[in-house]
Amino acid sequence: MILLRLISWPYFRRHVLRTILTTAGIVLGVAVFVGMHTANQSVLYAFTRTVDRIAGKTELQVNAGETGFDEDVLDKVQSASTVRVAVPVIEAVVDTNIAAEGHLLVLGIDMTGDRSLRDYDLESGDESVIDDPLVFLAQPDSIILAKEFADKHQFATGSRVTLGTVEGDKQFTVRGVMKSSGLTSAFGGNLAIMDIYAAQKMFGRGRKFDRIDLTVKPGHTLAEGQRELTALLGPGFQIEPPSGRGQQFEAMLAAYSMMVNISSAFALFIGMFIIYNSFAIAVTQRRSEIGILRALGATRRQIRWLFLGESAVTGLVGSVGGVLFGVLIARGIAASIGTLISDVYGVAQHTDEIANSPALLLLALAIGIVTSMIAAAIPARNAARVDPVQALQKGKYQVLSAGESRLRAVLGVVVGAVSLVCLSNGGSRPVFYTGYALAILVALLVSPLLSLALAKALRPVLKAIRPVEGALAADSLIQAPRRTSASVAALMLSLALVVAFAGIARASYDSIIDWMNTALNPDLFVTPSQSIVVRTIRFPAEMGPQLSSIPGIERVQMVRDARIVFRRTPVMVVAVEVNSIARTARREPVAGNADEMYKRTAAGEGLMVSDNLAQLQHLRLGETLEIPAPNGVIRLPIVGIIVDYSDQQGTILMDRSVFKRFWNDDTVNVFRVYLTPGAQVPEVRQRILEKFAGQRQVFVFTNNELRRYILQITDQWFGLTSVQIAVAVLVAILGIVNTLTVSITDRRRELGVLQAVGGLHGQIRRTIWLEALSIGALGLALGFVLGAINLYYILQIVHRDIVGTRLDYEFPFNTVLALVPTILGAAFVAAIWPAESAVHGSLVEALEYE
Amino acid sequence: MPAVADATMIALDRVTRQFAGKRDVIALADVTLSIPRGEMVSIIGPSGSGKSTLLNLIGGLDRPTSGDVFVDGAALGGLTDDELTRVRRDKIGFIFQFFNLLPTLTSLENVGLPLHLRGWPRRKVDDRARELLDLVQLAHRLHHLPDELSGGERQRVAIARALSIYPPILLADEPTGNLDTHTGEEILSLIRDLHARLGSTVVIVTHDMNVANSCERTIALRDGRLVQDVRRIQAGA
Repeated sequence: MILLRLISWPYFRRHVLRTILTTAGIVLGVAVFVGMHTANQSVLYAFTRTVDRIAGKTELQVNAGETGFDEDVLDKVQSASTVRVAVPVIEAVVDTNIAAEGHLLVLGIDMTGDRSLRDYDLESGDESVIDDPLVFLAQPDSIILAKEFADKHQFATGSRVTLGTVEGDKQFTVRGVMKSSGLTSAFGGNLAIMDIYAAQKMFGRGRKFDRIDLTVKPGHTLAEGQRELTALLGPGFQIEPPSGRGQQFEAMLAAYSMMVNISSAFALFIGMFIIYNSFAIAVTQRRSEIGILRALGATRRQIRWLFLGESAVTGLVGSVGGVLFGVLIARGIAASIGTLISDVYGVAQHTDEIANSPALLLLALAIGIVTSMIAAAIPARNAARVDPVQALQKGKYQVLSAGESRLRAVLGVVVGAVSLVCLSNGGSRPVFYTGYALAILVALLVSPLLSLALAKALRPVLKAIRPVEGALAADSLIQAPRRTSASVAALMLSLALVVAFAGIARASYDSIIDWMNTALNPDLFVTPSQSIVVRTIRFPAEMGPQLSSIPGIERVQMVRDARIVFRRTPVMVVAVEVNSIARTARREPVAGNADEMYKRTAAGEGLMVSDNLAQLQHLRLGETLEIPAPNGVIRLPIVGIIVDYSDQQGTILMDRSVFKRFWNDDTVNVFRVYLTPGAQVPEVRQRILEKFAGQRQVFVFTNNELRRYILQITDQWFGLTSVQIAVAVLVAILGIVNTLTVSITDRRRELGVLQAVGGLHGQIRRTIWLEALSIGALGLALGFVLGAINLYYILQIVHRDIVGTRLDYEFPFNTVLALVPTILGAAFVAAIWPAESAVHGSLVEALEYE
Repeated sequence: MPAVADATMIALDRVTRQFAGKRDVIALADVTLSIPRGEMVSIIGPSGSGKSTLLNLIGGLDRPTSGDVFVDGAALGGLTDDELTRVRRDKIGFIFQFFNLLPTLTSLENVGLPLHLRGWPRRKVDDRARELLDLVQLAHRLHHLPDELSGGERQRVAIARALSIYPPILLADEPTGNLDTHTGEEILSLIRDLHARLGSTVVIVTHDMNVANSCERTIALRDGRLVQDVRRIQAGA
């Protein structure tokens, strides 16, 4: 501690800027980690809080995925011996038509029994609505609002509220406003209650409920209740505590969470590099100080712990800053994730609070400190090894010794060979990931050598541009590779991740466009909601013939899709008229015979699965799937595996007849409409809208509009690439400013001589700018090469472990081209201040600088 | 203020240089002198007498706290940094005690450095650099780096660099201070030879009386003040 106070503190004070830049590396890594994980947790917390608050005293919930089940299931549940109270529920998220308000969560309940599970205390309104459930039945346009929502929009008892329903916009009468309570704060306070049978009608449920909430009788455990109900209802139902829905939500977000984890890990790794760079340079520059300490009796251990102590302090300060900054940016990220979840997964979100987890923040602090100390470990060891006599020899340790270069090259070859072996035997997950880690390690081992070689190759080019400034800039990199290589390595890693993400985005776009060209080729799509992924509102099947009768329409196809739980994972079931689809949107399978596949699926003798489902769940052609459904277990073989992007967790395609039989559900999510030759799209669209005006809410999308919508969602999903580019730019600036600050100190005499012999300020600045641009160029070159390799590995990870989708390798040239001016521009910006500091200050002192 | 006659190359008028710090240090106090064109002058004095400060002020590397410095009739006070640099580039050649060669440039490149900074074409720079290295008898060391040269050879390269535009003024700060006696004598002889051939005004800061005595004029400083100014009658004058 005494050494920290006597030695380290004065050093920090003398080199304030450098200390700040070093700390900024950890701030960046920790902020990205905290921001992304906090945002993720907040979104999850918001969802589970809504679930919990709505659940009230509910101990178990019965559901069958998104499909719902017939009303008679309620009788069975209520007849169970372990069940005390069981009530049906419908949940629908509807448009409020209020500007910037978003969605309202409508809970359809049966007031008869629901009051034993949830509290409905009215602040104002007709108490008889609560006391006498028949009032609700008698007045089906009744609605009760949460106080939060009512106050925000000045609704009171007697007000009229317009909501979007399957029958179009409908007016509802506010019969009461609930007092603030746990229930009313669900979904951010955007909550309304209505009678369940009215909800069935308004939201197209027919004679179905979404789920049943229940409590068990005293003296019985939840497990007993689950066992009895499973036996009673069969395997097509999930009977679990309300928290189970949170787990399913998390499973749905697995792909996104994995990308967040990769980004966070890289950000921390890059922060480590910036710390390593700073400490490596500091040890070099403080060699004489270390030599004096050693000569005066400091042990090697004391010297090592001096630098580790400095890194711990830096890590602590950086982590605190990173945590604060991360919490600030979490709100923005959470809002973005919320929108993404709503648009991509169709799960409406209302994240209005950031869930700061003390455990996460403490973990971030610990990670920041530990990362910093790990990064400083090698420089600290080198500091401990300083010979007091040699300590006064300046500059010697800037170069890479021939021995070290050889060692790096040999290690690079050996580790690279092992990595290739792992790649060729990458069947098992540990072997594959080991190979990946080793590939990154090879890049880090050889990057100083490659930087040096590239700098030497760059020298004649720079000299040709500016004979003095260019040559000196290149020489600065060549003579002090340690100073430069860590900045270049940090930039290399950062750009490698950008290239990988951009490559995946590019491949995904191309694959999705291919898929849309074959699978989504109808002229029009008719949906009950403005958002095509919302499945809580559906059409009756009878609408099909009504659509078919409209002039200009040749064919109408009905699609029902719903998420169900299959082998503990939420997957999408898509039920279509397979015969019709086979004629209009025929696809070649990746496994199986197309004719056989369509024929057997249409006959209800088989199922088609998406290739990502097959990969994630290890399914094979011919394998019999067992899919629990409310009306029994579907046991059908896989007759074809196709490329399909309907859902990230995977898709099961079946004929509508099978879905109807096992779910007793013939409703429709989307009508696919093909026009007769010569029919005009705008005219037919108008006819459809006119046909159903006043009867039901109908949205009609053209093929182009749907494509744009899907690509827009894809854009949102890959919004992480933009975050990563921003991180890369920050890394570039931080690393280069750090390197140049030290470079100018090291080259003080050289720059003084330049001025003494006639170098103008502009010429001095130019040499600094050229050095910065050269570092940027080196980082770009190495980053693109590593990025090409990284893209391959990340594509494999996406295929094997995230979404199962097989994407083509497509190097993102467009992104790469855009990165060149971006990073070089960042490098130039980073050089502005150091270049100014190089031309100011006493020339005499610079010439006498030792 | 002394009349800055046409024959005067360097003039100082009541120049003071004070360094601020925990305690103010007066490096030069009220110095007035003039050096005519073509004269070879030595400046002597004990350590801390202000010799190097005087040289730095003449060369425009530093600015006086008060008083004026004139170089070839032009006052340096009031010039911007870039204007001062241009004066240095066009009129002054500097020779440093520790050579101050750029370690990554060859002899040829070091000598050509000021010319590149002036924007001369490459071919012309190359020709002039070779000519100068020939002048200081280093034509066989064109492509050597400073690390590959002896102390005397490095100083010769530094002298060649200082002469790159054949400047009217040559300033040398302890040019032999980092060399052994024999090499030092060779360097001094070279400087005298170049002075005779080129007719430059030469100012040498030294603590070595042999060096001082070989000059036409010696100015002595003590505690920042001019205490003696001696002109010698040279043999053959």
